[in-house]
Amino acid sequence: MLRYVMLTIISLMMAFPFYWMVMSGFKTNDEIFRFPPTFWPETFLWSNYVDAWHAAPFARYILNSIGVGAAISLLQIINSSMMAYALTHMRFRLKGLFTGVVLLGYMIPSTAVYLPSYLVLSKLQLLDSYTGLILSNCVSVFSIFLIRQAFMQISHELVEAGQLDGASHFRILWTIITPLARSTFAVMVLITFIEQYNNYFWPMLITKSPDLQLVSAGLRSFFVEGGAYGLKWPQIMAASAFTIAPLLILFLFTQKTIMQSVNMSAGVNKN
Amino acid sequence: MPAVIPLLVFWLGPLGYIFYLSFTDWDFMSPDKLFVGWDNYRYLLGNPEFYQALKVTGLFGLGSVIPIMVGGLLLALLMNSKLRTSGIYRAFIFSPWVTPTVAVSIVWSWIFQPDVGYANHVLSWFGVAGIGWLQDSNWALIAVLIVTLWKSVGWAMIFYLVALRNLPSDLLEAASIDGANAWSKFRHITLPLISPTTFFLAVILTIQSLQAYDQINVMTQGGPAGSTRTLLYLYYQSAFEAFNVGEASSVAVVIILICVLLSGCSFLIGRKMVHYQ
Repeated sequence: MLRYVMLTIISLMMAFPFYWMVMSGFKTNDEIFRFPPTFWPETFLWSNYVDAWHAAPFARYILNSIGVGAAISLLQIINSSMMAYALTHMRFRLKGLFTGVVLLGYMIPSTAVYLPSYLVLSKLQLLDSYTGLILSNCVSVFSIFLIRQAFMQISHELVEAGQLDGASHFRILWTIITPLARSTFAVMVLITFIEQYNNYFWPMLITKSPDLQLVSAGLRSFFVEGGAYGLKWPQIMAASAFTIAPLLILFLFTQKTIMQSVNMSAGVNKN
Repeated sequence: MPAVIPLLVFWLGPLGYIFYLSFTDWDFMSPDKLFVGWDNYRYLLGNPEFYQALKVTGLFGLGSVIPIMVGGLLLALLMNSKLRTSGIYRAFIFSPWVTPTVAVSIVWSWIFQPDVGYANHVLSWFGVAGIGWLQDSNWALIAVLIVTLWKSVGWAMIFYLVALRNLPSDLLEAASIDGANAWSKFRHITLPLISPTTFFLAVILTIQSLQAYDQINVMTQGGPAGSTRTLLYLYYQSAFEAFNVGEASSVAVVIILICVLLSGCSFLIGRKMVHYQ
């Protein structure tokens, strides 16, 4: 019983900022600046949500983020599975070195090399473009590890059988191995998509034009610019709410898979 | 192996490049990069802002990693017995992890408003005077840490839940028969058996704490008076606000060295202390 009470209190505390965000989005400016704060809006001002939606191109930001997230997830599937396949089922000379490089990537946060990566992108003339953003994110060390883990559990005999039948590495990878690792791919795609949708620092550095901004950067500029800061809090709260909404909905439907990912990423680290 | 090319271009290449840049005085604009040797590092070591950032990074690391792990473990223990509704609790506690840090930091910065925020309202229930939170250099880091804890504790909890579920029940039963109480069972059986998870979380969370940027950028921009400026934030400011590429690069090299050092330590600790079954 005590457990239930404690867990309920904790859950409510965790959910409170979300509740607060949604409710504040309905309040008038006067009400939001009242102390003590009101728990329930006096009148529900739906117009705040409408105003916020039109005050900045949020539909566009959200679509941008979804598009970029999807593109990156797709490329990461292709790249990670090829890399993982090479590391698990092929024999070649520099295998140890590659594994080492991937391991190094796991240790050093990519944020530390943002500056030179930025310079590389500018040399390639890819700043302020989705090509640059997507290309620079198309390989993730974490994904490689995750997929490698799944591939290692697939018996090598299957690969050999494929080779005996004269199948190329590509064919073996896409027709034999990949289907067997479906659930790991699902986890990887979800995690990558969430990460990229939420990504802020790197996209903010690369994409400057307002049309290209992703949702986090767009929200942040709405927060800071346009006189919104400190003045239009209900709109800011409303805008935060619809920034978060797509992910909470996604989470609602894919809870099991997302939580399963935790199990897998713990496994990644054991090897 | 097309994966190798981006890995080289956006990973290994930049890694080498940044070491080189840290020995120059480049400013993004001028055509030549002047080689200045150890000057950037000498400047860094003489700069009080660097030590301040180092201190904040350490505090941020300790202040986020330990509470997240302890909190995650406590929540997992609380949830571990067969509760019928635990799925709902789990979803609630985990959900902050899924949401964009920028959006939730904006909400939190309202909660931390000194005059009208909810944080001070809650304090007033207990008769505590309001705190300046994000405007007060004594409290700003704590406010940022609260958001970080809120965001990640559910994530750590899931790891511990998995670990607790995999505990061998016969061992715990045997201990109960031998008359061990709950605490000694926890201390001598559970804790050692979940040590791989603890170890994994410690490593990952430390690396994450070194990368923390979004919540600092939204809530405090490193201020007030540098009280929330971590090394990473200093790096960002000197590179993309002050355009001191050389100086910024030397900060990045320090971050990389810290990572390598910590990874080395964790490797050694992992060998010695962690009990794999």
